[in-house]
Order: sequence, then structure tokens, then C-alpha cells
Amino acid sequence: MCEPTPHTRRPAFADGLDEIRTGRRSLLKVVGAGGAAVAISTAVGSAPAAAARSPKRAYVLVLDGCRPDEVTAPLMPRAAALRDAGLNHPFASSMPIMETIPNHVMMMTGVRPDRSGVPANSVYDRTEGVVRDLDRPGDITIGTVIERLNDAGLTTGTVLSKEYLYGVFGARATHRWEPAPVIPVSGHAPDVATMDAALAMLDAHDPDMVFINLGDIDRVGHSDLTGPLSLRLARQAALAATDLQVGRFVDELVRSGRWQDSIVIVLADHSMDWSRPASIIHLQPVLDADPLLAGHVVIADNGGADLLYWTGDPASRGAAVARMIALASDTPGVLEALDPLVDPTLRTGPLGGDVVVHARAGWRFTDPDIWSNPIPGNHGHPATRPIPWFIGGGHPVVPRGATASEQARTLDVAPTLADFFGVGAPVGGYDGTSRLA
Amino acid sequence: MTTLHRRTVLASGAAAGAGLAAAAQSPAAGQLSPPGIFRHGVASGDPLARQVVLWTRVTPSPDATPGSGLGPATKVRWEVARDASFRKVVSAGTVTTTAARDHTVKVDAGGLEPETWYHYRFVSGGVTSPVGRTRTAPDEASTPDHLRLGVVSCANLQAGWFSAYRHLAARDDLHAILHLGDYLYEYGPGEYGYGRANVDVRPHDPATEMVQLADYRRRHAQYKQDPDLQALHARYPFIVTWDDHEVTNDAWRGGAENHQPEEGDYTLRRDRSHRAYDEWMPVRMDGTATLDDGTRLFRRLTFGRLAEISMLDLRTYRDQQAATPLLDPAVDDPERTIAGRAQLDWLKASLTAPAQWKLVGNPVMIAPVTFAQVPQALIGPVDDVTGILPRDGAPYNVDQWDGYTDDRREVLTHIRDRGVRDVVFLTGDIHSAWACDLPYDAATYPLGDSAGVEFVCTSVTSNNLDDITGAPPRTASLTVEAAIQTSNRHVRYLNFDDHGYSVFDVTPARAQMDYYVIGDRADRNAPAAWATSWATRSGTSKVMPVDRPVTGA
Repeated sequence: MCEPTPHTRRPAFADGLDEIRTGRRSLLKVVGAGGAAVAISTAVGSAPAAAARSPKRAYVLVLDGCRPDEVTAPLMPRAAALRDAGLNHPFASSMPIMETIPNHVMMMTGVRPDRSGVPANSVYDRTEGVVRDLDRPGDITIGTVIERLNDAGLTTGTVLSKEYLYGVFGARATHRWEPAPVIPVSGHAPDVATMDAALAMLDAHDPDMVFINLGDIDRVGHSDLTGPLSLRLARQAALAATDLQVGRFVDELVRSGRWQDSIVIVLADHSMDWSRPASIIHLQPVLDADPLLAGHVVIADNGGADLLYWTGDPASRGAAVARMIALASDTPGVLEALDPLVDPTLRTGPLGGDVVVHARAGWRFTDPDIWSNPIPGNHGHPATRPIPWFIGGGHPVVPRGATASEQARTLDVAPTLADFFGVGAPVGGYDGTSRLA
Repeated sequence: MTTLHRRTVLASGAAAGAGLAAAAQSPAAGQLSPPGIFRHGVASGDPLARQVVLWTRVTPSPDATPGSGLGPATKVRWEVARDASFRKVVSAGTVTTTAARDHTVKVDAGGLEPETWYHYRFVSGGVTSPVGRTRTAPDEASTPDHLRLGVVSCANLQAGWFSAYRHLAARDDLHAILHLGDYLYEYGPGEYGYGRANVDVRPHDPATEMVQLADYRRRHAQYKQDPDLQALHARYPFIVTWDDHEVTNDAWRGGAENHQPEEGDYTLRRDRSHRAYDEWMPVRMDGTATLDDGTRLFRRLTFGRLAEISMLDLRTYRDQQAATPLLDPAVDDPERTIAGRAQLDWLKASLTAPAQWKLVGNPVMIAPVTFAQVPQALIGPVDDVTGILPRDGAPYNVDQWDGYTDDRREVLTHIRDRGVRDVVFLTGDIHSAWACDLPYDAATYPLGDSAGVEFVCTSVTSNNLDDITGAPPRTASLTVEAAIQTSNRHVRYLNFDDHGYSVFDVTPARAQMDYYVIGDRADRNAPAAWATSWATRSGTSKVMPVDRPVTGA
């Protein structure tokens, strides 16, 4: 689930303003293509673009929540054309937990959550004793490829439509869009505004790498009441509208002469699955009814995945985990309940809970309360692993009209960017693989 | 399965008998391989990256005929070389075969390089066998640009000539042959031949239904002497599974439609058929090429990152077919199975393999085919009242997955729950050609998603609809095809009339099935022609028409 949750204050934009007010970032306001003002902050002290810098450019375009089977020529002609002309990875996957923040972090770090510190959107923070979103710059505990590029003397940009993404990536990029307008309920900027900002950033600063999140497909998908009926009417309208923004971006690269020097990585952070109102999984009362677990389990609801945290006597963790797995596994709609210390596929790390519970397709979690998650569209469970993943662009390194059978993952973005720019890998290497290798 | 039941067959067989002998005496029937120690040809199968199964059968003495139990123990040397002249032998060995294994030879030749063509031969008593050609699979970590298979099923020798095999053997662009079952038939002469009159174009040997071990051995031997089948075996490695006729019609784990009490214990009969299959087919059973170590046939073959084939056995573990196809609620009974628990779990694990394309060698059709569509959401309530409405609509053929809907639902639900993509079922059995989506809810489809696709190849020779009705091809069947497609919107292509073969080509971008049809099965030299092609683009789980077949390497 990537809807804003009411249990924590969201200080990301406020922190950004503080950085500007205190002089750590300078602010440039330009007029976007739509006529509205676009605010871009820049890290103070970053080197201005050198006259003889490399023409190489890389852009990462995240179609948030897009399913691979939605990138079709009738519905998304520009995205489909970009895919078909470049290198397509039809066997591509989001990684656990199939949520927005961890997968964007995996894109920029190239490592799994047990190394990045970001396993889910929503976790139980044992230090603070609260369930909160991982939306703080300090939540990422390893260097990102953004910093590697900066350290190499290149410039970077983030154009992130969602407030918590703005928050978690913080001031890492040389240039950062200060999102506006932001839709109050969804906490995201509409794609047309996001693309205005991206194009304005290209025009004003021309960063070597820009990381862009387009949030409309996901946001509309979450609330599409026709989703469970397989109609997805609102969703389809969003797909078509977002495709126009993809087209604007490609057109600008061509118009500005950047196309032949650019790679454009297009992918999603996760897919989307829809559930009927009755297909909900409410684990909190199930766990509270157990004598061992009652009052000692906190749940962080991530839509298609519940993360269960044992808060009782640490010595009883083993027994508690066994009880949680047994009770969750017997609950209708649950696909599996896994101990991350045992299951090698999760690699969610210490913040990811003592038990990870996945929903079946067509189901969603709602915890801790029965009203906590009323939205039909969700992700986080294995059904939402498939994503589009392709590389377009005119740079000679991009294969033309190729399709690869290797499995691509969100993890592969950072090593691909590092490969393209030649900036190397972090200590311990990447968990992902360059798709240009 | 055959649509003719045993009683029908027996009734019509006698009348057809006179014509059979005449056909069998035709010059064409004499074109069997010449007598000699290697008269049953050579074969290879189950290619792995570094090993492949090699097969032959020797006849060391005149009395060592198949099924006789006679003849001396015989040493046979096998050789694998990079070149047809065997100057570069890369793997070789010697084995001893005896009458106890019907003088068959089966070795798992190792020490080979991945994705490489090889030549192989056998030598015994100073005589050298015909040279066969085979190809290893790509290494597991490799990324081949394509995999191309010939696809066949349902080759009834009495019903005609194996022209489909001959045309496939003439191609030079395949990597292997996928045989989806009914490689041979159990019937005696006069039972289940060519067309409505059951004319035997070539009578079976022995001249009786195969029941005893010697019967199965002799029948395998007869098929292995067919020149077209010999040519295809020598040309490409085979990847095989059985359907029912390798034992007997409409087999299930405890019996079969075509097994009568006077034929003895069914399980013993099945064991005999499996023994002969293990002896005579280039296949690993229970993971090995040796005999007497089990007859588990379901297995996986990997072709790099591109594809993995899971070959199913849907006869050995299944419960008995439902009695009344249209109304029996047993088709939905969760206690009934077509695959068996162990194989079903194994298949589910196969579907989450790291290979891109999950191909399933599927002996019987999995796409639902019904005549009465009711939305799934209403089936539960209706069932509560009547208890008679099958969960997926009223099936017409309960010998296929339609008769075991709980197993199918488990497989499709698994695909959906796990976000599995690019699943292709490759199917035989029903003597007709199909291209289908695999809807989660057939009643509301095309609203809703598809779990994968299914391509069904037609029969090499076994009768299909026009043969049974006696109507001219592409006349009466068109009405049936239209009715089925009207009630089953996920069935995009259907041809009930033609015989032939298919070519399946898979690349990272798409999987395509080309359907070829042959002329008259009774014509020893029947021509073949391309009929149509259907493909599924990766990630779509839906089939679409394609305007031309694949060509070139």
C-alpha cells in the first residue's frame, strides 16, 4: 500500500524548505512548459556544468505501479514504441517488499533492503515505538548511485512526484524539484506537473542523470473502483495520460539534440492488483486472540504484505514467530507467512519485521484496524512482482529492437547507470546487474 | 484419448478388415528398414547441456526378435563425434545388452559441450549402425536467441503413414522434437484405423491388442521400423511424454476404458507398458537412462535462461474420469486429481523457475472448453442449490483438465498468486489444432486476465472430426468449431479436421506455433502445407494471429 497513512507526520517538504531557508540549497524558479512556475533547488557548492563535459545523459523514468501488460501500443503508444525500439526485458520483477519506497531505493542503491535499510513503505520503528513510513533521508543506510555520480563530478537530478520519495532521497541530488502542486489526499504531484518540472530541469541545469517518478498510474490504480471488476476504467485513462508525458519527454530529448547521447531507463517500482471489498485480511484480531501473542505484536500494513513485529520477551521470539506463521497461514486470503531469518528470498533486514505475510492475488490486508485500508488497488504481494523494464534512447550503447530473456529487477538500475557512466560499485558490490553489460 | 470406445471399435473393425490386408500388401508397406542388426534405427533424447540419451536396438541373431526373450548377450559400442565421419570422437563406451531388456541399448552419453550438434552411432559384431544426429541443450546460464521444436502427437500406425514425421525430418532448423504422447496405439488390426470405416492402412503387429510385455515390445519395434519415424529420430533428439495409448485408451491410475477384467490386473499391464517404454524410448525415467530404477516420467529440461520445459505425466496418478461429462459434479471434487499431489507441487515449482518461458509438455488440454457459461461469481450460489453445475461451466471432455477442475484451478491460481508470466502449455491428445488463452474466468472472458496460453497440435494420423463423421473436410466441422468458439471466447483458433504437425519457436520476445497440415494419410507421399500461425508476445498471456511461419535457422 502506498497511500499516505495517518499515523506519522510527514515532514519531508518542511525539511526541504528548511534546507533552502538555511542556505544549504539555492532555489531557482522557472516557468514550465505549461506556464506554471517550477521550483528547482540546487545543492550549494555543486560544480556548475563544465563547458567540455561529456554529452552522455541517463534518465530513469518510473511509471509508478504500471503492469507490463499495460504497455501496449493502443493504450501507451509512446512507451511501447520506446520499448520496441530499444532493449526490452519482458521478464522483469519488483523485489520484496513490492512497495514504492523500497523499490525506488533499490533502483538507486542497487542493493537489497538488508543492505540499504529500506525494506518496505511502512515499518515498525522499535526505537521510536511507532509505525512509520521510511521517508527520511537517513533511512537509506548505504550510498546511492546519485552520490557516486556526484562524487565523480557529474550532476544529478530528482523529479519525484511523491512526498515520501522526495523525503527519502532528501538532498542527495545536485538538483531537486520542489514538488508543486501536490494533491492533498494522495500526497503526489500530477504527472503533467512532474513532467513540466523534469523538462524545466533539463532546460535549466541539464543534469547528467535525472531520476523521475510519475505517480498518476499508481495513484489512480489504488482508487479505481472498477479494478476488481477487471474494467480498470480510471486506470486506463491514467495510463493513456501518462503516456503523453512519456512522449513529451522523448520529444524534448530529440528536439534538444540530447537523444543520440542518452539512455532512458523505463520501469515500474511494482505492479498493481485489485481486491473486492470482501476480500480483506485482518490479522490484528487473529493475533490478539492468541494468549502468547496478545498485545505483543505490531503490524505494519503494506497493502499486499503485512509485516509482523514481535514486541514481547526477545527470548520468546522463536515461539512467537511460529505462532504468527501458523495463525496467519490459516487465515483466508493469505498466500504465505515467512520468517525472514529463514527464507532466503526476502532479505528484508532487521526493519522488515519478524514475519512477512503475503496476500493472495485479489486480496488485501487491512491492519491494525478493519478500516485501515479501504482502497481496492494494492501491491506488496508476489502477484504484483511483474513490471515493465526497458531501455530506450539514442546512445549507441542501447541495443536496437532487442529483447532479453534474463530476469531484470528494480535492483539493476543503479549498476546499469554506474556501468554507463563508469563510476564503479559500492563496497560489497551491487546485488543487481548492469543491463548494458 | 480416442473418441471411439472399445465396443464401437470392435463392432466396426471386422467389417474393415478385408481392406486392411490389401493396403498392408502395397509396395509402400515394404519400405521398412532392411533386416540387419540395427533394423530399428537409432534415436536420441532428453538433451541436457552436457549429456544426451542415445538409443538403439540390436538383433544379434535371427531368433532375437522383439518380445521373443531370445538371443545372446551382445556387446555394443557407442560413439559420439563432432563430425559425421567420426574423426573427432568426443565420447564413447561399450555396454552389453541382453534379451532381458529386449536387446535395447540406452546410454546417457556425457562429456559433451552445450548447444552443440553431434553425430552418434553404434557398433556391434563388426556392423555399424546408421548415423544419428543430436544436439545438446544450451547451458543453464546462457541466453539463446531462440529455441525451435517440432511438435507432434497421436501417431496411429494403422490410420496412415507418418508423413508428418517425414516433413519434420526434412527440416534443418529445429533443435528437438516434442512428442506429446500417443506415440503408439494399443489396438489390434481392425480396431481404430483410417476414417469412419476403420480401415487399417498398415495393420498393427502383433495382430492383437497389446496387453502382455511381448505385445508392447513388438508394437514398439514395429513403430521403430517405420521409415519416417526412423528418419526423424535420427535427425533430432526427442523430448517425449506418454498419454493413454502407450498403455491403453483413457487410462487412469487404477484402470482404463480399454482394459477389461479378462485382460488381467491393470496395474501389472501398466507396469509392462512402462517397462517397454523405458526400454524402447530415448528418455530418462526417474532421471536416468537405466532400467529398473523407477518409471517417473515427469521431468524438466532447461534451455538456458530462455525456456524450461516441464513434461507432465497425466495418466499414472489421475483418478478415474467422471462418468457423465455434462452433469457429473465429480469434475469439481477437490479430492480428485489429474496430476497427483507430488506432480502438482512439482509443476507449481516449475512455474516459478528463473527461466523466462515456462513451457509445459501437457498430454491433455488444459484450457476450459464448455458449452454452458455461467459467471464464476454465480456458480457458488447455484451449486448450493443444485450441486450439479461444474465450477468452470459444463465441460464436454472430462478426460482432460476439464474433468479435474480443482487441479486446474490450483495451477492457475498459483500462476496468478505468484505473478508468473510467459506460461505456455503445449498439448496433444485431441487430434485437432487449437490456440487458446487461459482465462481465470472463462465465463466473463475477455474481461479479466489470462494465466498463459495453450497451443494444441493436431494428430499425426489419428482420426479427427471429419474422419469420424464422414463429412468432407472443412464442412460440418466448421459449425462445431464456430459453436465452441462462440461459447469459449478464449479459443482463438480451432481446426477439427486436419492432420499434421507443428513447429514451435520461442524467442525472448514471443512464442509462436506454426500449424502444418498434411494431405491424405493413406498417401505414402502426402504433401504438407502451412495452415496458420499463432503467437503470444512475452508478458501478454494472450495469443494473436501471425501472418507467416518461422523460417531459417
